[in-house]
Amino acid sequence: MRIQRIGWALVVACCFAGPGMMAQVDTLVEEEEDYSMYDNLDFADGGAKNFCSNKILGLSPAKLISIGYDLQLGYDLQTDTLRDALPETVPFSRTGGLRLAANIPVISRNDFILQVGANYWESTYTAADAAAIQHPLGQNLAQNGLRTTGLNTTIFKPFDDTRFVVVQASADLNGDYAFSDIMPLEYLKYSAAALYGKRPSDNKQWAVGVARTYRVGEMNYIPIVLFNYTDAANKWGTEILFPARAHVRRTFSPRQMMFAGYELEGQSYRLTRGPFAEDDLEIRRGELRFRLVYEQSVYNFIWISAQAGYRVNYSYNVDELTDGNEFFRGFFGDQPYVMENTLTNPFYFQISLNLVSP
Amino acid sequence: MKKILTIPVFAVLMIFMMSFQSENGDSLLGIWEPSNGRARVKIEKIGNKYYGKIVWLIEPNDPETGKPKTDTNNPDESLRSVPLKGYRMLKDFEYKGDNEWEDGTIYDPLTGNTYNCTIKMKDKNTLDIRGYIGISTFGRTDVWKRLEMPKK
Repeated sequence: MRIQRIGWALVVACCFAGPGMMAQVDTLVEEEEDYSMYDNLDFADGGAKNFCSNKILGLSPAKLISIGYDLQLGYDLQTDTLRDALPETVPFSRTGGLRLAANIPVISRNDFILQVGANYWESTYTAADAAAIQHPLGQNLAQNGLRTTGLNTTIFKPFDDTRFVVVQASADLNGDYAFSDIMPLEYLKYSAAALYGKRPSDNKQWAVGVARTYRVGEMNYIPIVLFNYTDAANKWGTEILFPARAHVRRTFSPRQMMFAGYELEGQSYRLTRGPFAEDDLEIRRGELRFRLVYEQSVYNFIWISAQAGYRVNYSYNVDELTDGNEFFRGFFGDQPYVMENTLTNPFYFQISLNLVSP
Repeated sequence: MKKILTIPVFAVLMIFMMSFQSENGDSLLGIWEPSNGRARVKIEKIGNKYYGKIVWLIEPNDPETGKPKTDTNNPDESLRSVPLKGYRMLKDFEYKGDNEWEDGTIYDPLTGNTYNCTIKMKDKNTLDIRGYIGISTFGRTDVWKRLEMPKK
């Protein structure tokens, strides 16, 4: 019996061994200790290779999922002649639609990031008097609008603690199609960019590269420059990917910031419906959006983004392709457009809810 | 006599086995440095859970005030005066076997955000720390390296 008692005493002793072992931890900070002992330490495996981050301090958070709405106020489309259609001024009272995007980090390590994304944008053209429109381009826009559905991928590969490359590619289906009658995939538009750069400090990164882009409406090859910077106090900074976009950032807190700058938006939209069903026409739509953007966390990782600005038309011309084959005009080519249209410039607004990245 | 001894001895053995199992999880203990090299984190065990506190900062003082940095980005205003040194940025990790610790959170003092987090030990000196939002897909993995006292 005595032995049994000793045995149970051992059990009890083992259960309570170590004073405070089961203590609850509610405080964030422990009592003071001499932290100077952690000043001079070595890596246990003799040295680790550090890789630079794809971000800098203070950079606005990347958007994993975005649900937004874009609205351009009223403006006029001045159409060019097209076959027997005469030029016409088509007043649109508003243009806009849903903007959905998802960018998921499939692989996200400090030595390699692979991100895959998808996006859907729609532009619905609302005319004050749609029945009065005579020009087939105006009629088609008012009836069908334009859509972009795309997939994209981004790779970030750091070589060491300062040097990195970024490669980006996307495929977009742009046109006046409906989902019940989607365009053939042979008309996908491919864009790509490659950048090489450095991140000399936690507050600055830059890169230079080249892009194949449709941001000016038609396919073009352009040099690109990335420059992200945050000042030491994390109050001011820049987020620039020239010429696609450039913004000055004012940071009120890590959860509240404002931007002033511009974005160059564009795509080449295939016309496939109504009077254009047998044609090979594409709208080369490119526009500059000068804007103020306000972003704030509304609940943890859900951010709201609201922007207001002025949309300036760069191109709304129409090209005729041959069997859908893309061609390169660049800034200096002299291939004629089928239609040279102009747009007046309206104010625009955009609002979105976003799930942002860690 | 045999029967009398069997029950407590068996219980003691069970407790030793359990403690041996948790010792595998104790390989996480030590000082670790995130890939950005801006901080060092000491991982300790309290109860059966693992916690990591900041013990070193590359920039210990606020450049504006010259005073030790505090948690100025914390969404809870009452915590913004808490010193960053000593701050428990890793909390509540439990060892799940196979060199993985789960059910914890990681706090990012640069943004004031707290993320769900899992830790996987790739080798005895390397950790994959994955912070994520809700589901692991929406996350980012950072590699932390073990530090030790200089060899003399």
